[in-house]
Amino acid sequence: MSTKRWIRCRGVSGLVALSLCVVATRMLAGQGAALSKEQADDVAGFKEFSVRVQAYLKLQRTIESSLPALKPTDLPEMITAHQQALARKIQEARPHAKPGDIFTPAAREAFRHASRAVLEGPHSANSRAYMQPGAPDPRMRLAVNGIYPDTEPITALSPALLAAFPPLPVEVAYRVVGRTLILIDVESRLVVDVARLILPPAS
Amino acid sequence: MRPRGVLSLVLLAVVTLVLSASGAAEFVFPLQANSVRFAAIGDMGTGKQPQIDVAQQMLKSRAIFPFEFVITLGDNLYTGSRPSDYDKDFAVPYKALLDAGVQFYATLGNHDTTNERFYKPFNMNGANYYSYQKRNVRFFALDSNYMDPKQTSWLETQLREAGGGDWKICYFHHPLYSSGEFHGPANDLRKVLEPLFVKYGVDVVFAGHEHVYERVRPQKGIYYFTEGASGSLRPGNLAFSAITAKGFDTDRSFMMIEIAGDDMYFQTTSRTGVVVDSGVIHRTSRPAS
Repeated sequence: MSTKRWIRCRGVSGLVALSLCVVATRMLAGQGAALSKEQADDVAGFKEFSVRVQAYLKLQRTIESSLPALKPTDLPEMITAHQQALARKIQEARPHAKPGDIFTPAAREAFRHASRAVLEGPHSANSRAYMQPGAPDPRMRLAVNGIYPDTEPITALSPALLAAFPPLPVEVAYRVVGRTLILIDVESRLVVDVARLILPPAS
Repeated sequence: MRPRGVLSLVLLAVVTLVLSASGAAEFVFPLQANSVRFAAIGDMGTGKQPQIDVAQQMLKSRAIFPFEFVITLGDNLYTGSRPSDYDKDFAVPYKALLDAGVQFYATLGNHDTTNERFYKPFNMNGANYYSYQKRNVRFFALDSNYMDPKQTSWLETQLREAGGGDWKICYFHHPLYSSGEFHGPANDLRKVLEPLFVKYGVDVVFAGHEHVYERVRPQKGIYYFTEGASGSLRPGNLAFSAITAKGFDTDRSFMMIEIAGDDMYFQTTSRTGVVVDSGVIHRTSRPAS
């Protein structure tokens, strides 16, 4: 195993532990008490999510390492070619990928609770305002293994929301369209998973 | 008056007239040796004529004020991420500047794809957010689409390590303060970034997103500029609120900046060459915790 890959593996394992610590710390903050059942379920939900993200990354990194590395280039054709090749290979490797593979039911509940805490909390107006303008069309068709269209803007994610979610490695990121939470593969722009009706409706 | 004096006066009058005709009469720049000279553009990547007009005006201005690089405040490519989009929205409009060796240091807006970070002319070197030094100025280019704890932690480390001697300039897409009616201020982002800016003595912040130009009165000692009209425009969209020091929302514009010692000279120019704002900011030393 190369040093780079070893660091990556260690990084992902550390990420799972870190995300669980982050979630548990937030839940316990100011409470001085044991986790409630809902909070414990959310910790478990986020753990399940992080483990599944790790499994996806293992696949993604194997595929990406089979392609010429994408380095800064003067040629946009190279960027597009890499994005398309990576997307195609991941699609081929996950032909049966479906919603819920990574956002499991327990994970969806955990994300729902975390979103509600931020977007229905005391500073929700600021968070919502930040995420609204210039956001993509909420009617946009989103499918697992589909490509996030490059003609649609992305929703800037509230820093408070990102702080409430488990941290992600650089290869993947959260996206939001309307009330839907998406896990996206950054370089291929592939929709890795979709969780609908996660964000609370605007009041 | 001696003939030589008369000749000088005539020459001065001619030069003034030429500068007036080109709309550059109010140039404020001292053009000091070793100063840092750059331009700022935002929300420009439409590939349409107004963007091209601004680029041409930038080229004209550069003949008088030779800026060495350009910072972009996001929405670099509106139309997509096909190779033709890179050409139409960026490489073609700024070809003359690129050919002249002008470097661009980009940030990502909400209309950009993250893979733009691999486009060499954007100088992002594969990173969504990055920092670089130009003589006595430290620049921090941030990704305001995705301000996660990892990025804020990185920023805090960078600001701390930058120390207190140099200028600190942050730029990103979403403005922390804005009188724009379409978007308004990014209060959520402000809550995270402003404490760091204050703590570590950030001097100036540039943003885009709002398709107007606005200079905001200093907030907690920090100067904020929004330049989001270098291609797109929302005419009449600036509310000119109590925080507005100067605004311009009737045509496209771009900024030019010179930092010489503790002074920052700035000028905002419309696409027709009219100077719509200018001034000098004197930096007072502030603690860099």
